[in-house]
Amino acid sequence: MTDQLLNLACGLFLLTAVGVLWRRELAALITLLTVQGVALAGIAVLLAVDQRHAETAGVALAVGILKIAVLPYLLRRILARVPEARETAPLVNVATSLLAAAALTLLAYAAARPLIDLAPSPTAGAAPVGIAVMLIGFFLAATRRRAISQIVGVLLIDNGIAAVAFLATGGVPLLVELGVSADLLLAVLVLQVLTTRLHAAFGGTDLDDLRELHD
Amino acid sequence: MNGVAASLGAAFVLAGVGGVAGLAVPARWRSAAVGAVTAAVGVAGAVSGVAAVSGTGWQVRLPGLLPLAGVTLAVDPLAGWFLLLIGGVAAVVGVYTIGYAGTSGLGPAARGSSAVLPVFVAAMLLVPAAGSVSTFLLAWELMAMASLLLVLSEHRHSRAVRSAALWYAAMTQAGFVVVLLGLAWLAAAVGGESFAAIRAGAAGLSPVVSGGVFLLCVAGFASKAGAVPLHPWLPRAHAEAPSHVSALMSAAMVKLGVYGIVRLGFDLLGGGPRWWWLLLGALGAVSALYGILQAAVAADLKRLLAFSTSENVGLILLGLAAAGVWAEAGQPAVAGVALAAALLHAANHAGFKTLLFCGAGSVLRATGTRDLDRMGGLSRRMPATTALFTVGVLGAAALPLGNGFISEWLLLQSLLHRDPAGGTVLTIAAPVAVAVVALTAGVGVVTYVKALGVGFLARPRGEGAAAAVESPPSMLAGMGLAAAVCAGLAVVPVVLAPALDRVVTGLRAGPGPLGGSSATLRLAGIASTISPLWIAVGVVGLAVGCAAAGRALGRARRRVPAWDCGDGPLTARMEYTATAFAEPLQRVFDDVLAPEQAVDVTQSAESAYLVRAVEYRRRLPDRVEARLYRPLITAVDAIGRAARALATGSVHRYLAYMLAALVAVLLAGVVR
Amino acid sequence: MIPWLLAAGQAVLVMLVAPLLIGLMRAVRARLEGRAGGRVLQPWRELRKQLRKEPLIPADAGAFFTAAPAVLVATSVLVAAVAPFLSTRGPLSGVADLVVVVGLLLLGAVALALAGLDTGTAFGGMGASREMIIAALVEPTLLLAVFALSTRVGSTDLGAIVAAGATRPAEVFTPASALAAAALALATLAEAGRLPVDNPATHLELTMVHEAMVLEYAGRDLALVEWAAAMRLTILLGLLANLFIPWGVATDPHPGALAVAAGVFVVKLAALGCLVAAGEVFLAKLRLFRVPELLAGSFVLGLLAVVASSVLA
Repeated sequence: MTDQLLNLACGLFLLTAVGVLWRRELAALITLLTVQGVALAGIAVLLAVDQRHAETAGVALAVGILKIAVLPYLLRRILARVPEARETAPLVNVATSLLAAAALTLLAYAAARPLIDLAPSPTAGAAPVGIAVMLIGFFLAATRRRAISQIVGVLLIDNGIAAVAFLATGGVPLLVELGVSADLLLAVLVLQVLTTRLHAAFGGTDLDDLRELHD
Repeated sequence: MNGVAASLGAAFVLAGVGGVAGLAVPARWRSAAVGAVTAAVGVAGAVSGVAAVSGTGWQVRLPGLLPLAGVTLAVDPLAGWFLLLIGGVAAVVGVYTIGYAGTSGLGPAARGSSAVLPVFVAAMLLVPAAGSVSTFLLAWELMAMASLLLVLSEHRHSRAVRSAALWYAAMTQAGFVVVLLGLAWLAAAVGGESFAAIRAGAAGLSPVVSGGVFLLCVAGFASKAGAVPLHPWLPRAHAEAPSHVSALMSAAMVKLGVYGIVRLGFDLLGGGPRWWWLLLGALGAVSALYGILQAAVAADLKRLLAFSTSENVGLILLGLAAAGVWAEAGQPAVAGVALAAALLHAANHAGFKTLLFCGAGSVLRATGTRDLDRMGGLSRRMPATTALFTVGVLGAAALPLGNGFISEWLLLQSLLHRDPAGGTVLTIAAPVAVAVVALTAGVGVVTYVKALGVGFLARPRGEGAAAAVESPPSMLAGMGLAAAVCAGLAVVPVVLAPALDRVVTGLRAGPGPLGGSSATLRLAGIASTISPLWIAVGVVGLAVGCAAAGRALGRARRRVPAWDCGDGPLTARMEYTATAFAEPLQRVFDDVLAPEQAVDVTQSAESAYLVRAVEYRRRLPDRVEARLYRPLITAVDAIGRAARALATGSVHRYLAYMLAALVAVLLAGVVR
Repeated sequence: MIPWLLAAGQAVLVMLVAPLLIGLMRAVRARLEGRAGGRVLQPWRELRKQLRKEPLIPADAGAFFTAAPAVLVATSVLVAAVAPFLSTRGPLSGVADLVVVVGLLLLGAVALALAGLDTGTAFGGMGASREMIIAALVEPTLLLAVFALSTRVGSTDLGAIVAAGATRPAEVFTPASALAAAALALATLAEAGRLPVDNPATHLELTMVHEAMVLEYAGRDLALVEWAAAMRLTILLGLLANLFIPWGVATDPHPGALAVAAGVFVVKLAALGCLVAAGEVFLAKLRLFRVPELLAGSFVLGLLAVVASSVLA
């Protein structure tokens, strides 16, 4: 039963990442990210239940609070301040992005094969899902113009790394996870300030505008 | 002397007679004589093929015929399969030529072209019959030269013919050199040039040699087969050659590239490592997708058919790649199915492409244009041609009731198979290949609906189409033969199962892959079945029943003007054109096709707000050609210009070059 | 003999139920939008009316135009007869192959597209072009879903796939299967011409796809085209139901089991139809050039289904 649920959570985790590439509305992106947080927390909880490990349960709780409540709240606050609601012209169009996501998923699957053979466990088999989400996150951050999309990309990368850590090793030490999450929180806060300032200075949050600072 | 020898000998003798007839018979009877003899050569070739695939082998060595190497012929079931295919195509094309070339004595009916036609067919028959490297290369070059002369048939007609012939000549010679290098290397490495000696010695080759030989030869063979990116000659030569020659080249000659790959990869080298086949598969996938996309956006009917040839060759290569991979992965049953799929698709493509190119020739003859945007209305003016073309379209679009569907179904079955121990690469490659085949099939349907729907239906879009009349009986007879073969292959492909079994087992690629009763095709190692006969009976029976019931019970149909939005009458300018039909697809694949578009808006002199004229231009250049070949041509051009310094016009200097070269060769021999 | 009777019965059932399904979907949609709407039987009444009217054909159209409705009906009836809707043991397993069924449905669409071009009107050509291009882009999704479904049983035989699901339901409820179901559902909406790909209720020239192709049909021919379109929707939803909700399908041709199977099949169809209709209330039609995005998404779902079946198996 746990296996089935874990598979379901992993599937949801990957699907939300694909969904992020699919949708253009920034609000939908944040919703999808929240759902992904639920899936990630779900993975952690299932692992904790499976291994009857209190520390993993603690990590799951912390991850859950951060990814489901705090980060979406911060992102929505940023979104409320800037008037842009949609990713209008990504550098790579949506259909091609989706095909790229498919290719990246296949790559993740191929690349993770030796890793899985190293420590064959039922949960490690799902590790490619984490790697795929990480790659999709990089792709998103590299091809989208809006600052919020890029923050979402960075968060996808973090989610992917966390998922790989959970699935491959069966849990991360609490301290490490908390440290990483704190870093991330800081990054989001910095970006929030940056976005607000960018908007005030240029009237948009297209990060390509920053090039003007160089000239 | 057995059946293979007798019929093959008859084919070569008849080809000689045909060549003489082409030169000697007066213009009035020339096409009839040459066409009849070519058809006879084809029939003889096909008979020898039937004998060979039924298990009659034959080999002979004629040392006196060529200095040094002699001529070696060896016919096995694989050779027989291709003899049958070439012979069948030639028989149909021979009959068609009688009416197509006509009695004018010009273009395809001129002395030279007429004499070369049967020789070309004989050269093609010689390629699979060759049993040694030197004989094979001789036949290959003979075939290339003969086809080049035929492409040039209408050189007085337009400049494009000359340019096409130049492209073809350059690429076919480059391909020949590469194949020559590869096969010579192979023969030198095993120490013998007969195929039997190579077969025996291949096991001892180092992977570097066999890999190098495979790469060189596949490059040469794939360029003959028209695989992307080695294809630029194909849309030119197929479009500019007379249509019966296009049919021979596209349906038969191109398949010999496939034959070369099968003979080398599966027979002479006896299979190889996985990377060979993955590379071949990638080549096939790119050919299939790029070929069909270019075909879908082409407005020139023969260019469309030519690019569709690249697509079908891509699918055949995918089948060969699947066969190689499965054989290497220890799944001989599935490998056999994949190989059978590739060979059957080669035969099916030969059938429907002969029919389609002949149909295009009839349309070209009747309307004077190859441009789909200027056709239309032919279903009333040329009903028989339209009906026959429809049979070809069903096959080419790989729809049920068409012959292409059966081989694509087989191909999909071999790709849908999953091997739990196959490893990561296979787990990824199989679904990607399935997606490629699916997209190719889908875009193929768009392409052929466009060709048939825009080219033949509704109202004529040009004066040529409006004045079209039905083709003469010999052309219809030729196309009718091809259509009958296509229909037969679509409904009872089971008749070919024993022949395919013998070819596949002869290559030691796997057990006999196909079986089943008269109606149902069963596969070895895969549980799926298909009943082409029942599909045909079901669809045709139900459709006829439905139409008959409607006619019996309902009221008769009444002709009325179509809805014209109250602004009638409808003109031909209001119909959808081929360009418009494919425009959404062109937009979807914008990044791949990279069309060049320009819109010029001219304002009226009185006011900038009034538009006087809008001009829209669109060009769809072949991107592979522009990126890959243009730089190459520029570089070769520059080298040529630099080399002009060597040629001053002085005879003494030229003689001195010769002397220097001779001395250098002798010195090299001495030093060694 | 019994399997053949069963096939004929199944075809008749689909032919009877198809217009009712359309009627039900229209009624549900009308109710959800606060309209009164027509009765469930309304499509049958319209068919009866059209069958009696005089069929007209455009001046320039030829045999392709008159033959298309018959071909469309023939392909639909053939698939309806052989697909494992009631029993997994049909008489023609060589026709009830998933790839063949996809091909037969495509053949029907091609017949209609050629008919659209045969009319010589701009609408006919426009509809044909759009319909064919959507069909082409759906194809990869369909076959990847076929891949994900067929590798479980090692065959593309529909009867075998449904039978495997009916006997071992646990294998149907895996992430791979869910992804395949989602991919196939999107492909079904596109193939059947439902929202958000095509709006069956519109006759606005900029947005029509299917309706533009059949604009010139009248009387008996129109009745056949609409009937066949309803049957295609029924077939696609029926396949979706039996592939992913495999309960109630008879695995042996026992009369009692077949009667139960027929009842369950109709209930499943009605449920799926209501679901689609309810979903359509909240959807707008996509711009034609946004449709490739949707189909690329369904393609990714199909590919993930295949990968997931090897990663998460």
